[in-house]
Amino acid sequence: MVIVMEKHTTESNIERVMSELVARGFDVHRSTGSEQTVLGVVGDVAKIDTREFELFDGVQEVVRISEPYKLSSRTFRREKTIVKVRGVEIGGPEVVIMAGPCTIENERQVFETARRVARAGARVLRGGAYKPRTSPYAFQGMGVEGLKLLRAAADESRMATVSEVMEISQIEGMLPYVDILQVGARNMQNFNLLTALGQVRKPILLKRGMSATIQEWLLAAEYIMTGGNYDVILCERGIRTFETYTRNTLDISAIPVIEKLSHLPIIADPSHATGRRDKVMPLARAIIAAGADGVLIEVHHDPDKALCDGPQSLYPDQFARLMDELRIIVPAVGRRL
Amino acid sequence: MERADAEREIDRIRDAIDRVDEVIVRLLNQRAKYAIEIGEIKGVLGLPIYAPEREKDVLHHVEKTCEGPLDGHSMRRLFERIIDESRRIEREAATDNGQRTTEND
Repeated sequence: MVIVMEKHTTESNIERVMSELVARGFDVHRSTGSEQTVLGVVGDVAKIDTREFELFDGVQEVVRISEPYKLSSRTFRREKTIVKVRGVEIGGPEVVIMAGPCTIENERQVFETARRVARAGARVLRGGAYKPRTSPYAFQGMGVEGLKLLRAAADESRMATVSEVMEISQIEGMLPYVDILQVGARNMQNFNLLTALGQVRKPILLKRGMSATIQEWLLAAEYIMTGGNYDVILCERGIRTFETYTRNTLDISAIPVIEKLSHLPIIADPSHATGRRDKVMPLARAIIAAGADGVLIEVHHDPDKALCDGPQSLYPDQFARLMDELRIIVPAVGRRL
Repeated sequence: MERADAEREIDRIRDAIDRVDEVIVRLLNQRAKYAIEIGEIKGVLGLPIYAPEREKDVLHHVEKTCEGPLDGHSMRRLFERIIDESRRIEREAATDNGQRTTEND
């Protein structure tokens, strides 16, 4: 951390800042310039609230150089984390495709969709049983009955399952059926939920909040990891921008940024980002080309009759075509499918 | 001066610089030993490690005794780093001698 003092500030102002730092056990590197003095702070500065020092008289700016997140950072762990679930390795050399319906609606829908996506090469079956809908009048999901269908369909097609958990009370009931618990964008900063998921010994798929910075996202992962659950998969799903043509703007740049900052696997969801089927395929290609560890895609066996997010769900044939395209891209970025 | 002579001359001066550096290192360590002694005393008495008045005196003193070719400001900047390290080593000595360290793991 660096503290930049105001130009021509008094010696006593500098001394007050230094006294406080030294009293707290930090080492200070003082550099007196002709006009401005800069203090380099060495030690465990992650615990410092920079505002405390910004409030000292004569302080112009406090700049953090090291990251406030620890467990999720590359500094803490150099080699990439590989999340293993039912024979699937997320974060390894293989790119993992997760696909399935937005919401579990009925037996025929989930089994049919599972068969089609598994045949095309998907390894993880997605499907929501508890749905965070913008409107309270929209379909809210099937609950545990839906999860049972998801599990059975995944078992038949030899896939792992991922489904969204919305609140702490749902966790226990989901564990028998769900291999990866998903935290949705709207819950990314639900710190009580994150803390509870830190106690679970199953992988967590943490979606980025639609207005969350990368730092806030990694700090959310930190909540889960401090509980001892290190199997966190990050999922970019689009952020709010001024553009209204697409629902959200998929932040492709977050993929290489996370790759540099964190050892956690990073995947992306092109379906929720755009909300439009015709935009999902090009974005899925871009996600893989950018180096993501996987993609999470909505596929419905009959999207025109879907109860939720039909317009963003791919037809099974489209999904199979996309998989063929991804098989061409994957070796170019040094991965396999 | 021939090129070969020039190179020999540079080598000779560089050797001299190495000898000077050895003396500087020895003296800096001598200075550090005094800082450790002070740190130990401060640790026992619970006195603050950071003594701004004393630091000011030290800088003033070296600036005053500096005869060049380095100017006073250059000498001050060099000594700021020396003081930074002395403060650190004093703190470590004081901590070993009973003073509680906070938030430094």
